[in-house]
Amino acid sequence: MITIWDAVGRSESGPYIKEEEFDWQVGLTARKMVEKYGICYDPEQVVPADDDLADRVYQASLDLFLEWGTYCRDTGRLVKFTRDEVEWALKHAPTTVTYGQGRDQAVMVYRGVEDPTPPFCMCTPVGQSVAEERFVAMVQSYAQEPLADTFSSAFSQTVHGRPIKSGTPQEVEAAIWNVIKLREAARAAGRPQIGIHNLVSNAERTDAILAAMQADLGALPNDGLAVAATAELKFDYERVKKAIFMRHSGHNKYGLYGTLMGGYSGGPEATALVQVAHHFLGLLVFEVQHHCGFPLHLMQSCNSTRNLLWVISVGTQALSRNTRLLVNIAPFTAAGPCTDMVVNEIVAIVAAATVSGADLDALAVARNKHPEYATGMEARIAAEAGHVVAWQGLGRGEVNEIVKQLLTEYEDKIAQAPLGKRFDECYDLARVQPTQEYLDLYEQAKARLSKLGLDYSLL
Amino acid sequence: MDPIERIVQATVRGDEEQCVALARQVLDQGLDPLDAIQRGYSQAMVIVGDLFARMEYFLPDLMLSARAVNSAMQVLKPHLLEQGVGGGHGTIVLGTIQGDLHDVGKNIVKIMLQASGFEVHDLGVDVPVRRFIEKAEEVNADIIAASAILTTTMAYMPDIGRLLAELGLHDRFRIMVGGGPVTAEWAAQIGADGYGENATEAVELAKRLMGEKRGGDSR
Repeated sequence: MITIWDAVGRSESGPYIKEEEFDWQVGLTARKMVEKYGICYDPEQVVPADDDLADRVYQASLDLFLEWGTYCRDTGRLVKFTRDEVEWALKHAPTTVTYGQGRDQAVMVYRGVEDPTPPFCMCTPVGQSVAEERFVAMVQSYAQEPLADTFSSAFSQTVHGRPIKSGTPQEVEAAIWNVIKLREAARAAGRPQIGIHNLVSNAERTDAILAAMQADLGALPNDGLAVAATAELKFDYERVKKAIFMRHSGHNKYGLYGTLMGGYSGGPEATALVQVAHHFLGLLVFEVQHHCGFPLHLMQSCNSTRNLLWVISVGTQALSRNTRLLVNIAPFTAAGPCTDMVVNEIVAIVAAATVSGADLDALAVARNKHPEYATGMEARIAAEAGHVVAWQGLGRGEVNEIVKQLLTEYEDKIAQAPLGKRFDECYDLARVQPTQEYLDLYEQAKARLSKLGLDYSLL
Repeated sequence: MDPIERIVQATVRGDEEQCVALARQVLDQGLDPLDAIQRGYSQAMVIVGDLFARMEYFLPDLMLSARAVNSAMQVLKPHLLEQGVGGGHGTIVLGTIQGDLHDVGKNIVKIMLQASGFEVHDLGVDVPVRRFIEKAEEVNADIIAASAILTTTMAYMPDIGRLLAELGLHDRFRIMVGGGPVTAEWAAQIGADGYGENATEAVELAKRLMGEKRGGDSR
């Protein structure tokens, strides 16, 4: 048996190493494993239907993790685990997680490769920045989506007119406000007990988060919180503190892993390995119940590029075939709302992730960078695409062809992707409903997607 | 082959041993070390930067080339100082701002700035605004460069200009900002002197700001 306290203990006694050296060695070892296991990215097989490749990616990732473990930034020490310990943790990892209560309850279950079970849909603007007066409407636009199993937060630029600064008293106030407003949005959406998978996304410090996760403010006992690893394969005590709190409070917790392709891990093959290895970190250091990956292109800040789609697909397949972990993927698009390109990017990422065995944490648009550029419609597009791919029982080969077709539509436009329209241009804010323009754009897109092989009549 | 061309090739390959050997050869043959730096090592890093921007090179490749250049500089620098040449492109105090622990982007910018001839003082992560300013005063910096990846930490960026103004240091240091949620609009809004979308832009911006500063442009 291994627990979070073993990780904490090793963070005080493991071998000391300079952080720069750890960064360097992780990249070096990942590339060594890529060679050892003969892993090769094929741009024509964006969604590979090669079980042996997926299994080699898994073994190589495990070897990487066993060799270097993870790095505690507070103590500068390696925290390593044995193969037996990793296998024990995998064997005892949760295969279901329940969010919400009453009629709004939803259960995330393990999904395999080419699984006909539709993906669990966590709908969220991924902390996109929004004006305080539009915060509730924006998050309501996600909570009210019929296929949303849970929802989560935007980032209000101010709270009570004051900007939010990490580590200040205002951060505590803002975190509390966030929980109150999220539950208010759930009620406005007519789903008062829908789960909120990341209750506090506008605070970094543990004190602010703990102050906010109170039932009186609107937090349900099984609402959740993300615990993020830092790039690559590193953690700090501030994250572990949150994990310890949730160990006692009973809230759900999930890992967040954003491996940067082009960063320390290098190209797509090594990025896939590091991305998979993060799941072992989440399981053993944070004891998370589910795992959200958002591998990103270092230059483009999205994961709709051909090589990132491969990373998403092969990494998810590796985990789905070799473990029963709950693996989620967060799509990041380059284009913004109400554009044909954003639809194409979303469907490409979601199709690749869903057929490979992932659930969805949908989603960040416009590179998750531009204030006001996110709406519930993108979550609808993602959730519907995920359901269609699963219900249709599409195989990896079929999805590969669809994704490649979609790539021809947007691949060369990623660097100059259109920003699209703001939330207040995409929605009637009084009714919190999408504009006819956006609905028409999506209907036309679905007609095109149907010709590629996606059967939207199943919805 | 022309020694300058060999320097370029060795640097692009990230061949540290060869870069150092070529630096020694430059001195042994009485060639101009400044020319070797400008047309050789620096030019090669421009090529490496372009390859990185196109993702034909990745961060480890960039680091290898930067390490090779740094080692060669250790050989050449004393001779530049003897000739009374030095000072480089300028001095920059760099860090990830208070509350923020993300440093991949900041580290890339650091490598590119150093490879382009800037003297960079990296304060690491979670750097309070006053620490940026204290260090800038201490090393007589030209530029303060701050990075943020979180919206809650980005909110500290306006304090740099505010505190500089309060301390009467506004004209002494240029401010540049970057990172995930940071935009050109934000930079303008908070009174920063510039914004770099990526490492290549950050280097260009730093060069431009130095040009303005040395040209005596006031704000």
